[in-house]
Amino acid sequence: MNAKWLAIGIVLAIFAAIGIFVLLYFGTYNNMVGLEASVDEKWAQVQQELQRRYDLIPRVVNASKLYIQYEGSILEEITRLRSQWASAMQTGNMETIDNATGNLEGGLSRLIAVFEAYPDLEASQVVQDLMVVLEGTENRISTERMRYNEAVRDYNRTIKSFPGNMWASGWGFEKRGYFQAKVGAEEPPPVPA
Amino acid sequence: MQILSKRKVISALLVVTLLSFFVLPINANVVSGEWATKINDYLLQVDRNTTAEIVVFVLQSLRGHDIRKDGSEINEIVKLGVYIFNEMPLNTTAGPVVGIGKRGKDNGVLVLVAIEEREWRIEVGYGLEGDITDIESNLIAQQYLVPKFREAKYGEGLYDTVVALSQKIPTPSQTDPSRIRGTYFYENPVSGAEIPLVFIVLIIVVIFTVVIVAGIVAWKKGIRTTKIRRGGSYGGQRGGTSSGGGGDKGGGGRSGGGGAGGKW
Repeated sequence: MNAKWLAIGIVLAIFAAIGIFVLLYFGTYNNMVGLEASVDEKWAQVQQELQRRYDLIPRVVNASKLYIQYEGSILEEITRLRSQWASAMQTGNMETIDNATGNLEGGLSRLIAVFEAYPDLEASQVVQDLMVVLEGTENRISTERMRYNEAVRDYNRTIKSFPGNMWASGWGFEKRGYFQAKVGAEEPPPVPA
Repeated sequence: MQILSKRKVISALLVVTLLSFFVLPINANVVSGEWATKINDYLLQVDRNTTAEIVVFVLQSLRGHDIRKDGSEINEIVKLGVYIFNEMPLNTTAGPVVGIGKRGKDNGVLVLVAIEEREWRIEVGYGLEGDITDIESNLIAQQYLVPKFREAKYGEGLYDTVVALSQKIPTPSQTDPSRIRGTYFYENPVSGAEIPLVFIVLIIVVIFTVVIVAGIVAWKKGIRTTKIRRGGSYGGQRGGTSSGGGGDKGGGGRSGGGGAGGKW
């Protein structure tokens, strides 16, 4: 009698263990899929904001032309860096893109510094408005980058934690890179009132 | 015998209490209660009429407010604005709420000011970016906030600003009455570290004197000393913060760094 109950008990235990394992396996997989999707989504948000800035730059350049003719080189530089960024995006090479983005952001910082140095420029409502929009775009970009990094953090943590770490590479989930500001491309300073 | 000690205790308590009322609220709120109520009432109406949530958040300084993300205090106004808008639990009449503006509509606006650094920021939720553009946020602030703030008329400046902002918000054909936020004005003064040292020392001296005198008197009378309790109260936070969330109340809206900022 006892042996029979023992056998049943063991079989049930084995089934339970298998059941738990299956749930864990698929649960972990689904979780990873969700987190990776979140990373991709946030990356798309960043790209969207970068595009917004790309579209905005010619307007800033044109409005400023009248006022900083003597500083013409900075406007030409911005225009050139902008096209370089667009070409870099075409290549799809992450390092090229990151470098181009960093250079463009450095150029924009210098442009804002020029604006601050010339009161005539700031006095123009048109330029002032465009500076506001430019700063708004920069803020949106940094917010989306922050959210992207948070998504990457959650994702990387999951693929490195138990039990996901055992299966992640088998499933094709790889560590994703954080966005890091390039050295030399500081955040543009806030627009002075 | 016993009566003498009691009188001393009462007068000690009175002295300390009086001092506390005068001394401790030195870091009093920048915006008077009258303006705070006026702003809150107005924004309650805005919420009722349009479901949009305009929230005012006044900080004494960008440092020392103890609002933290990932363990460290946020000292930069843009990041702080994004955090307060999207992630910080704020107290409302229906309980703590995360997110400004209604969930799904994202129709929130945050007006954030840091008095010491003289910095302002208007953070606009995703749903209102079309109605209140970055340029318009800046123009409203330049016209209504900056001039009044330069005269230290903070309450009035904030009130005029939120009125101007509310006029940009479209009135929907139908409103949902059940999810009113209830609380729209928050002020978070710097923690007690700002109380001048002199006054703290003065209070301590008074307390010690009283205790010692009472002790001597009691000893002379040959009776046990009575314990002296400290009285007083703090001019503390209005519309404070707490953790928690969920439930059928206002809030839940999101923003993405849009809006404008500057100094006055």
